[in-house]
Amino acid sequence: MSAALLEVTDLEAGYGPINVLHKLSLRVDRGEIVAMIGANGAGKTTTLMCLSGVVKARGGKVVFDGRDLVAERVPAHNIVRLGLAQSPEGRKIFSRLTVLENLEMGAFTRADKDGVRADIEKSFVMFPILRERQHQAGGLLSGGQQQMLAIARALMARPKLLLLDEPSLGLAPQIVVQIFDVIKELNRQGMSVLLVEQNARMALKVAHRGYVLETGRITFTDTGETLLNDPRIRAAYLGE
Amino acid sequence: MLDVFAQTGAAGFEQFLLLGLVMGSLYALIALGYTMVYGIIELINFAHGDLFMLGGFLAWQLAWTLGVRTLDASSTGAVVGAVALMLVTAPLACAALNVATDRVIYRPLRSAPKLTVIVSAIGVSFVFMNVGSLWLGTSPVKFPDLVPDANLVTAAGVRFTWKDLMVVGVTVPTMVALTLFVKFTPLGKAMRATAQNPTAAKLMGINVDRVIAVTFAIGGSLAGVAAVVNGLYNKSVHYQMGFQNGLYAFTAAVLGGIGNIPGAVLGGLVIGVVGELSKAYLGTKWSEAVVFTILIVILVFRPSGLLGARTREKV
Ligand SMILES: Nc1ncnc2c1ncn2[C@@H]1O[C@H](COP(=O)(O)OP(=O)(O)O)[C@@H](O)[C@H]1O
Ligand SMILES: [Mg+2]
Repeated sequence: MSAALLEVTDLEAGYGPINVLHKLSLRVDRGEIVAMIGANGAGKTTTLMCLSGVVKARGGKVVFDGRDLVAERVPAHNIVRLGLAQSPEGRKIFSRLTVLENLEMGAFTRADKDGVRADIEKSFVMFPILRERQHQAGGLLSGGQQQMLAIARALMARPKLLLLDEPSLGLAPQIVVQIFDVIKELNRQGMSVLLVEQNARMALKVAHRGYVLETGRITFTDTGETLLNDPRIRAAYLGE
Repeated sequence: MLDVFAQTGAAGFEQFLLLGLVMGSLYALIALGYTMVYGIIELINFAHGDLFMLGGFLAWQLAWTLGVRTLDASSTGAVVGAVALMLVTAPLACAALNVATDRVIYRPLRSAPKLTVIVSAIGVSFVFMNVGSLWLGTSPVKFPDLVPDANLVTAAGVRFTWKDLMVVGVTVPTMVALTLFVKFTPLGKAMRATAQNPTAAKLMGINVDRVIAVTFAIGGSLAGVAAVVNGLYNKSVHYQMGFQNGLYAFTAAVLGGIGNIPGAVLGGLVIGVVGELSKAYLGTKWSEAVVFTILIVILVFRPSGLLGARTREKV
């Protein structure tokens, strides 16, 4: 078993005639939190959707846990089964399913009913508010609660790698802190995480390593701490 | 649409209400096919009414081929067998045809502009109608009269016949089964999830194309059930009957809130009752005007329909 859980090489993807990602390469090792930061429109969401198979790769390799998802043309609905789950940008909660049903959908690929029930219980321990509101429609939750639900729902697949797209977007600062604490705790328990954020400071603080994405190209990569202290990054992404 | 009162003479309000509910449950079955497909891929499947028509033709063909053509000339066993065979075959065939249409025509257009898909649905509608006219011609064809018209109730002024019982006995359990399926089974939940957010559904590991195929299958089979019941009830089939029934059912779906399953049932019942009451009290020629006026009024005040909550892009 190699250290790299995810190894992306020269990934190309886009929409219609436009290429958004240009020979993008990145790696996530087992047990790592890797952050990807970049301005609005840089291609972060496209990258994650490409990894999840929702956007089709036009070239390059996505080797996940030893299998090349691009070469094998693994369809989106089978990628989750391989252990790659995502909490998407904007949460994408099923607004008219209950909180409980949203969690069940996260476990759609699983057949072990007892395990699913145990994992729902774990979500409730992680985010007690979800237990309180389990029978309410997902659309009735606040933004922060929806973000918690989106993360819990992704975890219901029991992934090896968790993709998080802008989990702090639009949330009050204390909720952001709570969400990031959960990310750290999940990682401490062994979860590998690829974290996409516009909140570069928060992301680079928790990340072991980071990548900077500019118009579909990786322009910097280093440890989270080094990036956090790099004057160019500070000027461009930390508002200094 | 039908005229069982020719034989009963004057009938009261309760009678028309009952008739409206019977017709309405038929519209509801067809409306469910529109609303489920719309809910999941935002396509108004204009061919749905014509699928219903083809289901009716197939049911006719079965009875005709089996030689079960009238109630009097056939044994009870033969009649029950023929009806049962129709109720199995027509829904299966309509489901298969609906799934095949999606697979061959709509699926390749999944990311095409909506208007493209709608125009192709209109094309499919004409193809189905042409198939119907080649199959049984352009005049109405008498459907085997296999269900007795005998009255079952003794209450004053109300007739409830075996035929009415058949409609209710088939449509109500079908709708209850559908509701339970969609509400409680994993596949049903996956359907709702896909309708609400297809991208998120993919991220959950749901095979969205398969869920869409299942939706077309269910919508088609409901149209098949409605076709058999309609044939037996109204005793006539016609290659254009998909147009009028489809229009009423589509109206029912919009009225209830397109994309909303209980809404389609409610809308169907409302359209059925309003249609029959206006026929009875204002005359047949006014009934369509009344139905569509009510539709317009409700949509002005509740654009998302009676039970529709969300506002999604409409065509
Ligand atoms: N569905 C889409 N169709 C066409 N262009 C898109 C689509 N989604 C994103 N884009 C374009 O791709 C580029 C990258 O977008 P995205 O991946 O969402 O960036 P980020 O997540 O970094 O803000 C942008 O220029 C955006 O306009
Ligand atoms: Mg984004």
